[in-house]
Amino acid sequence: MEPENLALRPRDVRFDWAALPAHWIPGEPFATHMFNVMHLLLPEGERWFVEVFKEALPLITDERLREDVVGFIGQEAMHASAHQGAQDHLLQHGIDPAPYVRQLEWFFRERLDRPDGGRRWLVARLAVIAAVEHMTAFLGHWVLNSPKLDEAGADATMLDLLRWHGAEEVEHRAVAYDLFAHVDGGFVNRVAAMAIGFPALVWLWIRGVRYLMTVDPRCKGKARWRDLVRAGRKGLLPTVPYLVASILRYFKPGYHPSQEGSTSQAVAYLASSPAALAAEQ
Amino acid sequence: MSAPPDLYGRRSKDRMWAFAARAVDAFEAVTRKLAGGEEPPPKPVVSLSTTVVVRKVTPEAEDVVSVTLSAPDWSPLPAWQPGCHLDLILPSGTRRQYSLCGDPDDRSTYRIAVRKLGSGSREVHALGEGDVVTVRGPRNAFPFIQVPRYLFIAGGIGITPILPMVKAVRDKDWHLVYCGRTRESMPFLDEIADLDPARVWIRPDEEYGVPVSGKELLTWALPSTHVYCCGPPKMIAGVRVDRRTGLHFERFSPPPIVGGRPFEIELSRRGTVLEVPADRSALDVIREAVPGVGYSCRQGFCGTCTLKVAGGEVVHHDRVLTDDERREKMAICVSRGNGRIVLDL
Ligand code: FES
Ligand SMILES: [Fe+2]
Ligand SMILES: [Fe+2]
Repeated sequence: MEPENLALRPRDVRFDWAALPAHWIPGEPFATHMFNVMHLLLPEGERWFVEVFKEALPLITDERLREDVVGFIGQEAMHASAHQGAQDHLLQHGIDPAPYVRQLEWFFRERLDRPDGGRRWLVARLAVIAAVEHMTAFLGHWVLNSPKLDEAGADATMLDLLRWHGAEEVEHRAVAYDLFAHVDGGFVNRVAAMAIGFPALVWLWIRGVRYLMTVDPRCKGKARWRDLVRAGRKGLLPTVPYLVASILRYFKPGYHPSQEGSTSQAVAYLASSPAALAAEQ
Repeated sequence: MSAPPDLYGRRSKDRMWAFAARAVDAFEAVTRKLAGGEEPPPKPVVSLSTTVVVRKVTPEAEDVVSVTLSAPDWSPLPAWQPGCHLDLILPSGTRRQYSLCGDPDDRSTYRIAVRKLGSGSREVHALGEGDVVTVRGPRNAFPFIQVPRYLFIAGGIGITPILPMVKAVRDKDWHLVYCGRTRESMPFLDEIADLDPARVWIRPDEEYGVPVSGKELLTWALPSTHVYCCGPPKMIAGVRVDRRTGLHFERFSPPPIVGGRPFEIELSRRGTVLEVPADRSALDVIREAVPGVGYSCRQGFCGTCTLKVAGGEVVHHDRVLTDDERREKMAICVSRGNGRIVLDL
C-alpha cells in the first residue's frame, strides 16, 4: 500500500560544501562531472519550470491539483537553489561555470520567452515539462537505488543532495503530467514534447560534461563515450539501456507517472536524509 | 540566427546553439499546428471542500472529545490512509487541521479528536449532533509506509494520527510509547487496551515523571526501525536529538502570524489598494484579489512569492532574498510594510 493524498511542500534544506572535494566520487572524474552537469543545468531549468507553472496557475480549476502545483513550485525552487549552491562551489576547484550557464540563460530567458505565444505556447511548454518530469522521476528513482555510489565512497553531503532531490522528484512525479493533462493532455503534444525534450536534455548533458572535463584543471583526458559505458557497468550512473527503456514507457497509451518509482521509498529516504530532517524547524 | 557566445571564447555565436535554436523553431512551428490553441470550454471547478454533518460528539478524556462526521446523505467520503488530516472550517471561519483517527475502511464516516486548547478547539467542543461544518481534504502530511518494524511515540492528543497506524500493523513488529500528563487526560486508552499489552507502554508523567530525553522513549528502536512520532513540540525535539534515521513526524502548516501590524498594499498595474490586517499576510490578501499569484512555502524560504516593490517601506522577514534583492523585491508571504507599499502587480 502506497501513501496517497500527499500534501506536497518544499523543505528548507541547507547544504555546506566547504569540505567537498573536486572529484567527490573518488577517482571517478567522469562520473563526478556527469552529476555536476546537474548543478549547471538545473538552477536555470528548474527556475524556468517555476515561471511556467506560475503562468499556468490561473488556468487550474481543480483545487487539489492547484495545491499540488503550489507545492511543486516551491520544491523545484528549492532544488534550483540547492544546485545553485553546488554550482557556485565549482569555482573553488578552478571550474568556471559561467560560460555554460550564460548559454542556458540565453535559452531559457530569451529564446523561450514568447510573450505573444498565448495558450498554445503555454501548452507546449507544459508538455515539455511533463516529459522532463518523467525523466527526473526515473532518474530520482535510480539515485534512490544506487548503493554503488556509497560503495565508491561518494561524498555524503552530495549524495544527500542528489537523493533528497530524487526523493522529491518521486514524491511530486505526477504533478506536471496531471497539470498538462488538465490543461490539454493531447497524445500528440505529449509525444512531440518528449521527442524534443529527451534529445535536448541528452545534448545539453553531453555538452555539459565535455565542458566540465575540458575546463577542470585536474582532468587530462576528454569525456569519452566509453567512460559512460564503464561508469554504467560499475553502477555509478544509469546505464544506456535503462535510460532508453524508461523513456519508451512514456509512449505507452495508459501511461501515468504514478506507475514510476515508489512514494514509500521516497518517504523512507526523506525520513533519514540529514538535510530533509534538519529542514523542519 | 541568434545564439549565445561559444563556450570557449572562440566565437561570438555558438554554432551548435544556432543549430539547436532552429530545432526549437521547428518545434514551435509544429506545436502551432497541434491542438491546444483554442480556448477550450471552461472546465468545471473541482473543489476539495465538502459539507459534512456532525453525527456524534463523544468525551474521550479530560477536555478531549471525538467528533464523528459524515456526508449529509451518508454517501461514501473520499478515501484516506493513516496519517491523513482534515482541514476543518468552523462556523466562525476559523480553520484548523485535525488528524483522522477513525477506521480507514469505514467509508461513510470520519472521526477526529480534539483537545480543548484555544479558540478553535473550543468551537469544536461546542459542536453538537446535527451541526454542519465544512471540511477540506483529506491530505497527508504524515505519510505512513510499510516497513518491517515500527516504533510509535505519541504524546497526549498526538495519539490521533498514530492510532490508525498502530491498528493497521497489528500483525507486524511494532511498539507504542504513549505519553501524557495523567491517565485521565489520555484519550483512547480503551481502544489501545485491545492491542497486545506487551508492545505498549502507557507512560503518564504522573507515574514516570516528565520524559527527560528522547532516548528514554526510544529504547525499543533498533537501527532499522521506522519511528513515527507525534506530540508536543518539546517531545518531538527530544526525539529528534536522539534519532537521526527513519524518523517521521508530521509537517505542520505555517504558524499563525503574531505581532504583525496592519498595512496597505497598492497594486500598481491594477490601481487597487488592499488592507492587510494584523493577523493576515500580504499573500493571503493579495490572493483574494489576484487568484493566480504564485507562492509555495508561505514561510519565507522558497522565494516563489517574490514581487517587485515600486515604493514604500518594507519590513523583510524572509530567509531567501539577498540584501541587494531586498532593495527592490519582497517575499509577500512573510514580509510586511510600514504604512503603504506599492507592488508591481
Ligand atoms: S511562499 Fe515561499 S518565500 Fe513566500
Ligand atoms: Fe527538481
Ligand atoms: Fe521535479
